[in-house]
Amino acid sequence: MLELRPILSALWRHKISALLIAVQLGLTLAIVGNASVVIQERMERIARPTGVAVTDIVTAKFMPVAKDYDRLRAFRRDLDMIRQLPGVAAATVSRVPLTGGGSRTGLHTKPNREVGATSSAQFWGDEQLVDALDMKLVAGRDFTASDITETSFSSGWRPSKAIVTQQLAGELFAGGEALGKAVYLGDEDNPIEIVGIVERNLGPWPNAPDAGNAVFYPAIMDTQWFDYVVRAEPGQRDAVAKLLEEKLAEHDPQRVVTVKTLQEQLDRYYAGDNTMIKVLSSVAGLLTFIVALGIVGLTVFWITQRQKQIGVRRALGATRSAISRYFLLENLLIAVTGILIGVAAAQIFNYFLASEFDQPALPLSTTLSCALILLGVSLTATLVPALRAANISPATATRSV
Amino acid sequence: MLKMQSIRKSYRTDTIETHALRDFSLAVDEGEFVSVTGPSGSGKTTFLNIAGLLETPTSGQYLLDDEDVGNLNDRDRSRMRNEKIGFIFQGFNLIPDLSLFDNIDVPLRYRGLKGRERKKRIEKALEQVGLSARAKHLPAQLSGGQQQRVAIARALAGEPRFLLADEPTGNLDSLMARQVMELLEFINEWGTTIVMVTHDPDLARRAHRNIQIVDGQVADLQHGAASATAEIA
Amino acid sequence: MIGYYISLAMRSLRGTPILSALMVAAIAVGVGASMTTLTLNYMMSRNALADKDDVLFAVQLDNWDPHKAFHNPSEMPWQLTYKDAIDLLRSDIPSHQVAMHRWGGPIALEGSELRPYTVEARVTSRDFFALFDIPFIHGGTWPHAADNNSAYQIVLSQRTNEKLFGGENSVGRTVNFNGAPFTVVGVIEDWQPSPKVHDLNNGDFLESAEVFLPFGLHRALEIYPWGNTNGWKSEDINSYEDQLGSEYVWIQYWAQLDTPEQMERYRDYLTGFIRERKAQGRFPRPLKFGLSNPSEWLALNEVVDGDDRMLSWLSLAFLLVCLVNAVALLLAKFLRKAPEAGVRRALGASGRSIFSQHLVESGCIGFAGGLIGILMTLVGLALIRQLAMGHMDTVASMNWLMMLSAIGLAILSSLLAGLYPAWRISRTNPSIYLKTQ
Repeated sequence: MLELRPILSALWRHKISALLIAVQLGLTLAIVGNASVVIQERMERIARPTGVAVTDIVTAKFMPVAKDYDRLRAFRRDLDMIRQLPGVAAATVSRVPLTGGGSRTGLHTKPNREVGATSSAQFWGDEQLVDALDMKLVAGRDFTASDITETSFSSGWRPSKAIVTQQLAGELFAGGEALGKAVYLGDEDNPIEIVGIVERNLGPWPNAPDAGNAVFYPAIMDTQWFDYVVRAEPGQRDAVAKLLEEKLAEHDPQRVVTVKTLQEQLDRYYAGDNTMIKVLSSVAGLLTFIVALGIVGLTVFWITQRQKQIGVRRALGATRSAISRYFLLENLLIAVTGILIGVAAAQIFNYFLASEFDQPALPLSTTLSCALILLGVSLTATLVPALRAANISPATATRSV
Repeated sequence: MLKMQSIRKSYRTDTIETHALRDFSLAVDEGEFVSVTGPSGSGKTTFLNIAGLLETPTSGQYLLDDEDVGNLNDRDRSRMRNEKIGFIFQGFNLIPDLSLFDNIDVPLRYRGLKGRERKKRIEKALEQVGLSARAKHLPAQLSGGQQQRVAIARALAGEPRFLLADEPTGNLDSLMARQVMELLEFINEWGTTIVMVTHDPDLARRAHRNIQIVDGQVADLQHGAASATAEIA
Repeated sequence: MIGYYISLAMRSLRGTPILSALMVAAIAVGVGASMTTLTLNYMMSRNALADKDDVLFAVQLDNWDPHKAFHNPSEMPWQLTYKDAIDLLRSDIPSHQVAMHRWGGPIALEGSELRPYTVEARVTSRDFFALFDIPFIHGGTWPHAADNNSAYQIVLSQRTNEKLFGGENSVGRTVNFNGAPFTVVGVIEDWQPSPKVHDLNNGDFLESAEVFLPFGLHRALEIYPWGNTNGWKSEDINSYEDQLGSEYVWIQYWAQLDTPEQMERYRDYLTGFIRERKAQGRFPRPLKFGLSNPSEWLALNEVVDGDDRMLSWLSLAFLLVCLVNAVALLLAKFLRKAPEAGVRRALGASGRSIFSQHLVESGCIGFAGGLIGILMTLVGLALIRQLAMGHMDTVASMNWLMMLSAIGLAILSSLLAGLYPAWRISRTNPSIYLKTQ
């Protein structure tokens, strides 16, 4: 029943047009396949758990207008006030993770070492730090009020206690128990005891190679660069943000206050990846659409050209479905050729992207699923004109001119 | 005017079904009205295509206006076609998207005439075929006979010395056919050489001379010509 | 004849509106996609200091960790230590030189209705304006002394002056910045290079400073920079003075060297500078310094990153698919009109004029595609501005050059696409279309 031979010979007569469609499908497969592997990688990146209650946290930064402002006193007064606010679960003063701005250090497991440090993000905060970020303590203890020191960066103060992430603990003490052990800053002999381990924190730079390594020290630092990190009860975030803005200004009008949600800051951090995802998805979508349009255009053209021939076939007893089948089969042949071209082109393209731009390798399964989708699109694009062709009247055969 | 010597034409394409011309020789003088008849597939159209410089013969010599066209390139052949030859087809072959005015404009454009000159010629040609009032119409809005008159006007606008007609009345009823034929005779009287391919013996007889092509060769040349002229008289 | 061909093209496009619309859409989408990314790349690759590309140099000194080079392509820290910057400023070789860093704080006007707000500031030595060719509207820069001793003087950008003083000459007036009163000494024209070639440490395309403060204020105000501070050595920092004397790098440094002799002398000077410090036990790495002109500096800092370049390649591939699509559709369209071409041939058109006629038709499709492509590019750039959440505001916009390029690209692509179909139809034997079938 498969009328392959006549289709092939008809295609041979239209070989350039048929080849152009196949090449289009092939290039599209190469682009869509590579785009989807990048999209997938970026989406996985954005979807990683942060270890922090992103959706519930509001941050507030202030800058005093007056000179010789007592920042530490302001921290204490503000935190007391904030913790009383309705809807607030916990609050601390610290650097905000996941924002692209922060501090990094190198940690050693032995004193007085200059080389071989493990790179890690560092945070300071008071006894509500773990709670305010909603990190999960998996071992040891949280900071208590008595652990907290009030100091500044230029004071020469060194921490004696720290909480680390599970990932950092694993990197520092490969396989062994980290709790209770000491870590050291480079070239120093001041032991910093690990008193607690939290499950996860992606740190200030989630896309950095050392993301996930974080150390937390029990201190409030006297500097411009700190934010109030306020975790709202679920669903209360926006109300808390509004309240925070009002109350902080009311509490002390001599300063500029900036309130943001953590979600907004994280979105901004991932804006580049998000742009990539959106742009690549639109490219893939538009491209598929353009190819579909091209197929519709060409099929319609071929059918118009062969109108008389189709009429003759119908007059000679071809059923409607035989006519539609003819065009679908013709398209299938072209599409399969295109996909074969595309699978090869996708691999070449991917090799280039991987070597030039460090993009992930393209697994064959991704190429094949893209190929299946394109095949479906190609056949759907043929379907409408093919069904219309089936409606061509057998009377066309007897009409002249 | 036209002189063909031992023309041979053979096709090797399987899609076009045309018989070759074999050892085909013919001379047409200035001012003649020659009809060409012959059975289907005898080579009439091939003869016309070669005469009209649309195709080149496989071998043999073709002199048009004493110029050997076998040596000319596409550009010069196109120029000659444009300046010396007019075509009239059975299917009229008007360009459907263009108005009558613009259809007649086509050959004049390729001759590179100035706008004013073209306009003058187009108007004159339309007047000759009696369709001045319909210059802005599209071909589809006209009857078959009117369309053929436009095609003749288009052929005449370039003031060709040599008119090739391929079954000019084939798609027309007898009244229309007579009108078109009278127009052609009128044109011929004014000095244009006409070669007309037809399968209608009545029309063929109205020409000065009739040539029959059989199996790619001219049959019975001298005799047919004399008798045809005699009968018209 | 061109005019004739164009009018024929118009007629032909109107004759097959759907097929024509498909082709115009294909070209427009292809042009839109590639122009969006090409515009981004073009804007990102601009060099605001191109005029002084031969004479300005970003200075790098390798004072880094003996065990590990700084992690960047140059293997030297981007910035200098405070103490080295202060010492370099003493050299009299460069025509101009600048030590600077990013800062900021709340600004307010005594007795004004205006609410205090936060501004980006640049703490810099006085030559900043001369070195980067930034014209003053009012006043001028601060005196030399202010680069070493605290002087509460401030230069405002035009925009800040507009906001605080309604645009009037504010020289001599006082503003409150970060809690201290400053005297306005100058107002400059707004200077917003994009990318921010003079400081590529924090956001290449963000806005530049709105106020400028003298470099001599560090001790008085205990300024910690709003930029990157990198260190490698564990040092006891017990006071602000320790911070200034540390191996932390946080100062950007530029020098203007107008002649090759100056360049030569400055290189010798830097070599001696590092040797001297090696003798004091600093600069433990092999002797190395960097002098990069603005275009080298932009390249070194990878302002146009891998993602951007990948998108450009991708969009060119996209355009290629659109082109192949256009070739297929043009071929279909032209072959449908083969009988007409046959008639034209019979009426005296040469193969070449049939070819030109159809190429012009392709060009017209390209022109229409280019116009719509510009609209699509504008939409694409607007979407990118929105998606990038402010990171791209200064680069995701189109200038006249890019608009013309869009049309040029569209016409060029469609002419390319039209070449084969036009050739094909000009080569068709006319006689087969002239006979009534």
